[in-house]
Amino acid sequence: MRSRLMFAWPIAVLMLVSGSMLGCSEESGGQNGSGGDATLTTRGALSSKVRGMDPMDIGDTTSSSVASNIFDCLYQYHYLKRPYELIPSVAESMPTVSEDGLTYTITLRDDVYFQDDECFTETEGKGRKVVANDFIYSWKRIANLKNVSKNWWIFDGRIKGFNEFRKYTEGVTDKKDVDYDRPVEGLVAVDDRTLQITLTKPWPQVVYMMSHLPTAVVPREAVEHYGDEFINHPVGTGPYMLTDWRRGSKIVFERNPNYREEFYPSEGSEGDKEAGRLDDAGKRLPLIDRVELLIIEEDQPRWLKFVQGDLDIGGIPKDNFDTAVTPSRGLTGDLREKGIVLEIYEDPATFWYGFNMEEPLLGNNLPLRQALNLAIDRDEYLKLFLNDRGMPARGVLPPMLAGYDPDVDSPFTVYDPELARKKVKEAEAIHGGPIPPIVLTMGSTDSVARQTGQWFTRAYQQVGITLEVDYMDWPSAQEKVKTKSAQMYAMGWVADIPDAENFMQLFYGPNASPGTNNMNYQNDEADALYEKLSVMEESPERVEVIRQMQKKVIDDLPCVFTLHRKAYLLRYDWLRNYKPHVFGYGLAKYRNIDAELRQQRVGR
Amino acid sequence: MFSYIVRRLLYTPLVVIGVLIVTFMLFRVVQGDVSAEYAGKNASAETIAEYRKELGFDKPLFINSEAASERGVLAVFDSQFFHHFKNAVTLDFGRARVSKQKVSSLLAEGAVPSLTLTVPMFLGTLITAVTISLFIALVRGSTLDTSVVVACVCGMSLPFLALIMFGQYFFAYKLEWFPVFGYEPGFAGAKYFVLPVLMGVFAGLGGDVRFYRTVMLDEINADYIRTAKAKGQNTPRILYRHLLKNAMIPIISKVVLAIPFLFLGSLLTERFFGIPGLGYLMVEAIGQRDFQIINAMTFVISVLFVLGNLATDVCYALVDPRVTLN
Repeated sequence: MRSRLMFAWPIAVLMLVSGSMLGCSEESGGQNGSGGDATLTTRGALSSKVRGMDPMDIGDTTSSSVASNIFDCLYQYHYLKRPYELIPSVAESMPTVSEDGLTYTITLRDDVYFQDDECFTETEGKGRKVVANDFIYSWKRIANLKNVSKNWWIFDGRIKGFNEFRKYTEGVTDKKDVDYDRPVEGLVAVDDRTLQITLTKPWPQVVYMMSHLPTAVVPREAVEHYGDEFINHPVGTGPYMLTDWRRGSKIVFERNPNYREEFYPSEGSEGDKEAGRLDDAGKRLPLIDRVELLIIEEDQPRWLKFVQGDLDIGGIPKDNFDTAVTPSRGLTGDLREKGIVLEIYEDPATFWYGFNMEEPLLGNNLPLRQALNLAIDRDEYLKLFLNDRGMPARGVLPPMLAGYDPDVDSPFTVYDPELARKKVKEAEAIHGGPIPPIVLTMGSTDSVARQTGQWFTRAYQQVGITLEVDYMDWPSAQEKVKTKSAQMYAMGWVADIPDAENFMQLFYGPNASPGTNNMNYQNDEADALYEKLSVMEESPERVEVIRQMQKKVIDDLPCVFTLHRKAYLLRYDWLRNYKPHVFGYGLAKYRNIDAELRQQRVGR
Repeated sequence: MFSYIVRRLLYTPLVVIGVLIVTFMLFRVVQGDVSAEYAGKNASAETIAEYRKELGFDKPLFINSEAASERGVLAVFDSQFFHHFKNAVTLDFGRARVSKQKVSSLLAEGAVPSLTLTVPMFLGTLITAVTISLFIALVRGSTLDTSVVVACVCGMSLPFLALIMFGQYFFAYKLEWFPVFGYEPGFAGAKYFVLPVLMGVFAGLGGDVRFYRTVMLDEINADYIRTAKAKGQNTPRILYRHLLKNAMIPIISKVVLAIPFLFLGSLLTERFFGIPGLGYLMVEAIGQRDFQIINAMTFVISVLFVLGNLATDVCYALVDPRVTLN
C-alpha cells in the first residue's frame, strides 16, 4: 500500500510540515556538470529511509517513490492531464473489457525488456523481454501467504481462483516450495503478449490497481537468484537502474539503457504549455541520466541543503514556514531571488478522530457525537498545528475526488460551541446522567501529540465533555484500534487511487476491524450504497450514489472530521517540467534540468 | 593474572544471559505482539497470523509444554525465549524485520561510519580534556582555573542538539567551511566528519575537563609531587612522568568503559550529518520495534562491555603495581 493510514495524527502533521508526503520527498533536479561532465543529474532528498525495493513488499510512500523508478506496472498515470488519467505503460493499450465487466484482456508491448543483470544466466546477463507470464508470477508472489505480502488486499476475493491459490500456499511448508506454475483460473497468459484476467465480480477500479506499484512486473530469475536479498537487488523494466544504495545515506539511479521507447507527452492540461511543461514534448524518456537521493531525516539539514542549492526540490519545515511563505501565501523575497518557486497543491487526504461505534457510550448516542464535532474549531486547529496548510473537513471525501462536495449539507461539522453544549444536554438525557470521561487514544507520545491532546481536552471542556488522552506508541494504538478497544482515536486516510471508493470502503460494515473500517461503522443503507458504487463505472449516476453514501456517514458522524491538507513545496526554477502529481510515482523520467541556469544561480 | 582472566571470562555468559533476559522482557513481553503493525493496514487475519508465525509470536513465551507433550521433551524449549537465546549464542541474528537485510551485514556496514565518527571524537575529547586538566590543576584557584571551570559548566549546560544545530547552521551553511550533510566511504568522505567530530569534542570537553581536573587535583598535592618539585624536576616531567601516571586509574576506568559504547555511535550527530552508523540504526530499530536488530546490538554491546570491564581491571594491574588480580 502506498501510504496511507495515519494513525497518529501528530505524526501526520509532522510529516506534512516537514514535506515528507506525496512528492515532497520525491526526486528533484540538479546538475553536476561543473567539471565538464555532461551527465544530467537530478538531486533530491528523502525524509525517511527506504525500507526495501521489492514491489511485493512495499507498503510505504518513500519506498514506492524510489522503487517506481526501477519497476513498471501495466498502466501509469498521464503526467500532465488533470483530472488524473491512466495510460498504458507495459501494456500496449487500455484493456478490453467483456460486456459483463468480468474479463479484462490486456496486450503487452513488444519492446519491454528487463534491465541487464547477472540473474539472467541464459542470456549472459542480458535482460530478457517481458511476457504475460511474468505478471502472473509477480502477482502470485503477493498471493503466496508465506511471503506475507502487505499487498494481498489488492487481489483478495477479486480474481477467480486466486484465493484458492493463496489457500494452497498456506499448506506449503517453505515459501520456496510453492509451485508458481500452478494454474489460477482467473489469470491466464493467452500468449506471451496477452494477459487475461477474470474477476469474481465487476471491479472497475482494477485498472487503477494495475498502476499500483505492488503489481509491477519482476523477473522470476532475479527472485530465484537473489532469494531474500531480492528486496535489496531490484531488477525491473523502469527508466532507471539502481547503481548505489547506502542505507540511511544515499541512493543513486542511472538511466536504464534497455528502457523502452517512451516519449514525453505532447498534450497536457490548461496552463501546461504556458508553464513550459510541453517544451520537451516528444522527447525520449527519461530526460535526466542520473538520480541522486540523499536520505535526510532531520528538517534542518534538509532545509539548509535546499537553500544552498544542493537539492532542487524540498518541503518547508514548520519552523521555517514563516521565513519562506508570506501571510498572503506567496514566497518571501529572499527565496524568490534565489530562483525558488512555491508550489501549492491539494492532497487527497482527510483526517479525523474516529469513534468506535461498537462502544455503547459513543455508538448509541448521536447527539454526543454531534457535540464532539461541534466543539472543534478546525480553523484554529489548522492555524495552530499546520501553519494553515489545509482546509477544514466537513465530510469524508477530499477535494479532487469525484463525489467531493464543497457545499456538503453537514450542520454538525462546523464550530458551534453553543449548539454543542445543547447537544451535550441531549446526550446526557439519552445516557441517563452526566457523560463519563471519553478516552482518546493518541498513537504518539511526542510534544505535538501532547499539544494536540491538550487542545482537544480544552475544546471539549468548554462544552462540558471531559476528555482523557491516552498517549502511547503507534503499534499499541494500532493494536487497540484493531481489537476494537479504543474508544476514540486519531486517524486519517490518503487516497491510493483517484476514486472515491477508496474512501467509502472505510465506512463499509463488513470491513470492520481488523479490516479498514476501524470505526466499526454499520449502516445497512450505507452498505447497500457502497456495494452499488463499488461495481459501477465512473458516471454522474455513480457520483450521486457516492454522495448519498457520504450523506449517510455525515448524518451518523462516526468520527470528528478535522481537515483536508494542502502540500507546500519549493523548487528551483532550473528544475523543468515539474508538476505536482498526487498519485503517480516514478516521475523522475519526465523531469528535466536547465543546467545553464543552475550554474548561473549556484555556480555548480 | 591468567587464572583471574579465565575466571572473569567464565562470568561473561552469565552476564550476557542476564542481558538477554532483560532485552527479551522489554521488547517481547512488555512491548507485545507487533505482527499487526508489520502486516500493514489492509492485512487480513490470515496474513497477520502468518506474520505472527514468522516472528515467533505464535509460540509460548518461555516453556512450550504443549509441544513437549506432542513432540517430546526437547520441544519444551520451542518457545520465544529459547529461540531468542539460541539466536544470540549462535550469532544467528537473522534478517531485520523491516529492511529484510541481514543483521550481521547491517552491523558491519554501520560499524565503520560509527567508529570513524566516535573514535576521533573520543580521542580528541580525551587528549584535549586531559591536557587542559593537567595545566589547570597546576594553577588551581587562579583566574584561569575559575574561567575554565565556568566555561566547563556552561558547556555541560548546553544541549548537544542545540550545539549541533548551531554548528551546522553557522559553520557549514553560513561560513561554508564544512559540508552541511553527507557521507562517503573512505578518505574521500573525511571532509564530512570534520564538523561532527569537532562538535562532539567540544560537547564532551565540559564534563571531561571537570572530571579530569578533579582527578588531577587529588594527585597534585600528593607527597611524590612535592618530592619531585623538591628534587627540582621541571614541570612537564612532573606532569607527564609523575602526575599523569598516578592519575591513570580513574582515567582508565572512564576510558576503557567508554570504548564499547563507541560502537553504538552517536545518534544525534549521525542523524543530523547523515552518517549511516549504528546509533542511527539502533534508535530506528527501537522505533520500528525491529527486535532482531535490537537483540543483536544489545548482545554485542553487552559482550563488549563485559570485556571492557575485564580490560579495565587488567589495565589497573599494569599501571599500578599496588593492584593485584586475585
